[in-house]
Amino acid sequence: MQLQRLLRALAAACALAVASHAADKLRVVTTLPDLADIARRIGGERVEVTALIKGTENLHAVVAKPSMLVALSRADVYVQVGLSLESSWAPGLLESARNAALAPGKPGFVNGSDGWEALDVPADLSRKGGDLHPQGNPHLNLSPRGGRHLAARILAGLVANDPAGRAAYEKAHAAYAVELDAAEARWKEAAQKLRGVAVATYHQEFEYLARETGIEIVGHVELKPGVPPTPAHIVELVDALRAKQARLVLTAAWSNNRQVAQVAEQTGARVVELPVAVSSAKGADTWIGMMDQIHARLVDALAQPPRPR
Amino acid sequence: MLRSRPLHVFLFASTVPPLALHAQGAPFQTPGMPVVAGGDASGQTTRFSSEFNPAISFVLDGLATWEDVDGSDSGLDLELRAGELGLTAWVDPRAWAYGIVVFTEDEVALEEGAVQFTGLGGHRVLRAGRFFVDFGKQMQAHEHELRTIERPAVLRAYLGAELAGDGVQFDDWHALGDATVMRYSVGVFQSLLGESEEEDGVPHAVDAEQKDLDELGYTARLTAFTEVGDAGTLQFGASARALPDYAFELDNGASATGLSSTVWGVDLTYGWVDATNTRRFTTGLEWLFDTGENGADVDDQGTPLDPSDDTLDVHDGTVGGYYAFADYAWSAQRSAGIQHSWLELPEAGEPTLAELDLYYTHGLSEYGRLRVGLTFVDAEDGADGVVAALQYTNVIGAHGHAVNF
Repeated sequence: MQLQRLLRALAAACALAVASHAADKLRVVTTLPDLADIARRIGGERVEVTALIKGTENLHAVVAKPSMLVALSRADVYVQVGLSLESSWAPGLLESARNAALAPGKPGFVNGSDGWEALDVPADLSRKGGDLHPQGNPHLNLSPRGGRHLAARILAGLVANDPAGRAAYEKAHAAYAVELDAAEARWKEAAQKLRGVAVATYHQEFEYLARETGIEIVGHVELKPGVPPTPAHIVELVDALRAKQARLVLTAAWSNNRQVAQVAEQTGARVVELPVAVSSAKGADTWIGMMDQIHARLVDALAQPPRPR
Repeated sequence: MLRSRPLHVFLFASTVPPLALHAQGAPFQTPGMPVVAGGDASGQTTRFSSEFNPAISFVLDGLATWEDVDGSDSGLDLELRAGELGLTAWVDPRAWAYGIVVFTEDEVALEEGAVQFTGLGGHRVLRAGRFFVDFGKQMQAHEHELRTIERPAVLRAYLGAELAGDGVQFDDWHALGDATVMRYSVGVFQSLLGESEEEDGVPHAVDAEQKDLDELGYTARLTAFTEVGDAGTLQFGASARALPDYAFELDNGASATGLSSTVWGVDLTYGWVDATNTRRFTTGLEWLFDTGENGADVDDQGTPLDPSDDTLDVHDGTVGGYYAFADYAWSAQRSAGIQHSWLELPEAGEPTLAELDLYYTHGLSEYGRLRVGLTFVDAEDGADGVVAALQYTNVIGAHGHAVNF
């Protein structure tokens, strides 16, 4: 009898602990730390946010870890960028986690790119084009306008899953929007110095940034998205960059930067490694901080004298 | 034909109502005919509809080998080792199904055809049909998906080059803390004899078509997957495959029946990945024991060299073996590794066999892969040699198997 009582008490304590935790916080799991940063800003004390990957990780080639599976199985809300950015790893994790609340179409599944007008939507869906994203370029987290869009989607997602917190979420979102106003003004000022600057990029991840700043992307080091360059492609790219007097080659930490250096060497362009996710570089601890870093590094690189070829 | 069909099959078939399975019926229906799409409340497809077609894939696995092994013909061999057609689709809100048809030089075979039912709640999955068994780290995978060109020698010898069974498997996982998961599965199958080439004059394993419950084949696996520091993962597991009742046969009709054997395995795998997910190091070990009546030799009784009166000499005992590997990827496209496999063969005298593999893999794109391999064979019975291979694998379309971690 005593043992039965003890077991009952333990079960009740466990149930209470689980229930009280669930009542306290909305458990939000995001793919990117960018989304986690914005979710924390809007969710405040009402949410407990976990990002599945770190900012330094190549989000095209994520290695699944047990903690990801556990986090997804316990989550109330899942937030992804979408546009197939996470398609090589997140759907498999979601399938294994078997959390019905996070199924596409359910309120717990928040797709950050919903309503976003994507660039580079392929006219021809064929692997002749490389590792194409069928719905268009997914790197909207690197657009100066991306934070505002993602914040709106996350706000809607949090309200849908926790209607009682609507007022708190809307208040935090409004405060974040004010910060975004100030940040966007800074980035517009920086864009004045970047407009018309010819660059190459390793991967097609800075297209939205280029559109907003007026940077001209002459070409990409990759032959096609996800496909490494051939020697002939490098020759063609170098010719094009020389013709346009390209100043910069933009890249990320996970790119094949040996080939980036080779292109820069042959063109006299300067290599600029940009943070491509929150926490991927010093000073990029928040989404706004990351975009500040991106603009600052570009402006700084342009201020440097051209490299001799 | 009808008379030869078992009675219970006939009874079952004759009582199945003609419901569902749309898009198979006649264009114009009369009562009692198979129901076509739209013929009841739920049909949404017609025989010419493509909206609900499954994901389709085709894998080309080409191999060029040059071998110089004692007792075998030396030389170059170019072959399309396999073409693999895959179909996958959700079939209702709680189940998805897939089929894998493999075309080889000798045959066309349904290697897998199964339904995964996910509606049991939690992380439970019930799989039914024909599928590769859950044993260790490799046996769920088809050959074209391996890290090496061939499966390790110990797995080929104890379980078969590929091991599919017709049956049912229950699978579940639980979280242990925030960074560890534990998964287990149990399966019951009609037959669990691995794929192996039948050679004249060599005993081959066979299974009865009708069995009692205690004669079915069984599998079980328990595995835990955890994180080690910021960049590492560690997985360990234990697996078993039991054959409670099977037989060996010879071409001359000689047989040994009522045999049983069990293969046990333990595995340990460590993975490390750098902060950008680019450089990766993986190392692992799997140790197997094959116990019971696990092999048979030909006993050349009666007239010497006359196979018609040969009998079988069953090997009854425990043999063991392992494979260990380490591979390193220094970019998203390039990796190289080394693997060593050693085993005792379940034959008279338990001779040993060892294979050392060196391999380099070059990813051409998301769908294409080129691999170079060099295998050194060291057999106690004297069949030593070397095999060099070039493998080209290409995946056309959306491809996947129901492989679990």
